[in-house]
Amino acid sequence: MVYGVFRFINFAHGELIAWGAYLALFFTRSPFYLPIYFAALPALLITALIGLAQDRFVFEPLRHGNRITLLIASIGLSYFLRNAIRLIWGSDLQTYGFMPTRGIDLAGLSITSAQITMMVAAILFLGILYIILAHTMLGKSLRAVADNMTLAQIMGITIKKVSLAVWVLASFFSAVGGVLLAVDTNLEPMMGLTNLLKAFAAVLLGGAGNVWGALLGGLIIGVAENLSVAFISPGYKDFISFALIILMLLFRPKGIFGILGGVR
Amino acid sequence: MDYLLHIFIVSLIYAIFAMSLNLELGFTGLYNFGHVAFFGIGAYTSALLSLAGHPVTLGMVCSMIVSGGMGALLAIPALRLTGDYFGIATLSFGEITRLFFLNERWLTKGPMGLPGIPRPTWIGEGVAGLPWFLIFCMLLTLVVFILTRHLTRSPFGRALKVVREDEYVAQALGKNALSFKIRAVTVGSILAGLAGSLWAHYISYISPADFTLTETILVLLCVVLGGRGTNWGPILGAFVIIFFQEIIRFLPIPADFDRFVAPIQGMVYGAVLIILMLKRPEGLLQEYKE
Amino acid sequence: MAVNDVSFQLDDTGITGLVGPNGSGKTTLFHLITGFYKLDSGQIHFKDKRISGLAPHVISRMGLVRTFQQTRVLPFLSALENLMAASPGQTGERLSSVFFQPGRVKLEENNNRERAMQILGLLKLKSLDQHLAGRLSFGQQKLLELGRVLMAKPKMILLDEPTAGINPTLIRQLVDVIRELARKGIQVFLIEHNMPLVAEICEKVFVMDSGSLIFSGTPSETRQNPRVIEAYLGREDYGA
Repeated sequence: MVYGVFRFINFAHGELIAWGAYLALFFTRSPFYLPIYFAALPALLITALIGLAQDRFVFEPLRHGNRITLLIASIGLSYFLRNAIRLIWGSDLQTYGFMPTRGIDLAGLSITSAQITMMVAAILFLGILYIILAHTMLGKSLRAVADNMTLAQIMGITIKKVSLAVWVLASFFSAVGGVLLAVDTNLEPMMGLTNLLKAFAAVLLGGAGNVWGALLGGLIIGVAENLSVAFISPGYKDFISFALIILMLLFRPKGIFGILGGVR
Repeated sequence: MDYLLHIFIVSLIYAIFAMSLNLELGFTGLYNFGHVAFFGIGAYTSALLSLAGHPVTLGMVCSMIVSGGMGALLAIPALRLTGDYFGIATLSFGEITRLFFLNERWLTKGPMGLPGIPRPTWIGEGVAGLPWFLIFCMLLTLVVFILTRHLTRSPFGRALKVVREDEYVAQALGKNALSFKIRAVTVGSILAGLAGSLWAHYISYISPADFTLTETILVLLCVVLGGRGTNWGPILGAFVIIFFQEIIRFLPIPADFDRFVAPIQGMVYGAVLIILMLKRPEGLLQEYKE
Repeated sequence: MAVNDVSFQLDDTGITGLVGPNGSGKTTLFHLITGFYKLDSGQIHFKDKRISGLAPHVISRMGLVRTFQQTRVLPFLSALENLMAASPGQTGERLSSVFFQPGRVKLEENNNRERAMQILGLLKLKSLDQHLAGRLSFGQQKLLELGRVLMAKPKMILLDEPTAGINPTLIRQLVDVIRELARKGIQVFLIEHNMPLVAEICEKVFVMDSGSLIFSGTPSETRQNPRVIEAYLGREDYGA
């Protein structure tokens, strides 16, 4: 979504995932002791604020300048946020402290109740996303801006409002993703970046700027990664997304001819 | 005193590393975020060869060849991509390389790393050898500096700038932009390999943890802070960053707060990058005179 | 389909104009000729050699050099460097030569510099040689771009709206340079909207409309041709 509207790759986006998860962790501990799914709520809100702050302080001023400057700034931001996590929560693995539960046997696969909740939550959020994108004014504005920012502005769509919405939505979803991921596995400071690269692979698979494509891409990657463990050494699991990224980038028609439409 | 020598040596190694990235990023405009991969490849190549009993000099030369070769191999397909995507592709390559170091235990001993990498025979081991190693590094850095300066001031260097500024114009003037980019990356990779091998022989113990994103950020900072597209810039940047990085260890920090040091440094680096981009994206030394 | 069914042949020398309303595909045609766009069908030949399908830099080296509609000087290089960069076949651009043939490279650079200064003199920009190209005025940049084309030792030049946006005095200067080039045997093919200018300097004119070639002839013939007039002035949908 961020790429579709703003046309840049935000390295710091991954940190929203991580922050979502860690903030939720924060709320499950003292003095709040909230159960995880309630803890997630304030976490989501704060993450959305972080996302907005990212835009307001770093990206917005740089938006009209050099692309490379923006990229480097986002790398700096990502490093900053990641180390902030390390500072506050340390570099070791953390978990939400669930008791390991036995999975239900379902056609040969073992699924825990936590994972079922995750799937339900994921579907729920996707449903919400769909409704927003397809049926609300906001969603339509978003798609219009993604298509052609200048034209959308002329048509009276307020860029500022849409920008806000994009960041809030993106942050929300990242945070949700982060919490869900952490529920399933664990938390560690690098989770932002690792998952960002996977997310990027998903985006590339589905076509940059296309939200549903990204969704499909994500599904494919998730499945591929976990199935691949059967074939190659687990240490290389992350390799799948990286390889995918490189392969996708190579076989899409990029390069001079792809952007030549702008030559005057 | 010894510690000062150490900081100088590391600064010089990073100066070479930064100069190599500057050639790609500063002069040719290529966002190679996976540059650390060639640093690592150089380090491992040289380490493995000298651990197998070959002379260190041979190891260093081979590491340059291997790094350069890998650079060319990566460049040929990857450079068909436009800016942002090239950045992502090279970043992925950097991570893939690290995963390779981590998992191919038969070659690299994985996370355990390679200890006991020897120094060149005429330089003693340990602390006694430090001054000699420093001189060695200074000579190499000087050579690399002169070479890159000669290169960037030549018509080749000028053509690189043309490619950086406007690829269409480069094409319209008969310059094969792709070929120039590939050559820039190859030379950059060779030099990064040299820096890597120097690192290996200095630190004498390397592991995949030495070649992570942190190092990418560090060297990027050196180039960006010092001044992209200048010849002195990366050297200045390297000294500033490495001094900051290492001088921290001198400060009397109570043991309780020890674990905070690295993250805070990291946050400072991130913040510096952001502020630099917002306020003075060219870096400390400017490329063109006004 | 921006350009559709265009076939023509340019004579060996002289100045030819390409005109047509906005959006008729003139710049696209230039892109196609110089290799920046790929042809879907058809062929292009230059001096009996086929150039369609070749990469832009190869076509440029064959002597077919172009300018762009928006000035594309290299803003952070000096005017002199802008010109020196344009010289074709520089040995110094080969990596090995930089280190192993320094004498030859230096010699070429000196010759290069001399030629560049000469061209700057021709364009009356000599005093600005060290100035950053980005700091020059718009008109000066246009002249510089023309100079860059000259440096490239072209056999034929494609100029995309060379006089757009510059004042009459500078236009005169440009015209003088263009005439001088044609006199020296360099073929000129230019896109222009400035009709009086076209009439003044072009021997032959091609007219495009909506991606097709609709007419070719002398400037006076062109001015009187009804199809051309219709293309420019009045179609119901144009400008509505």
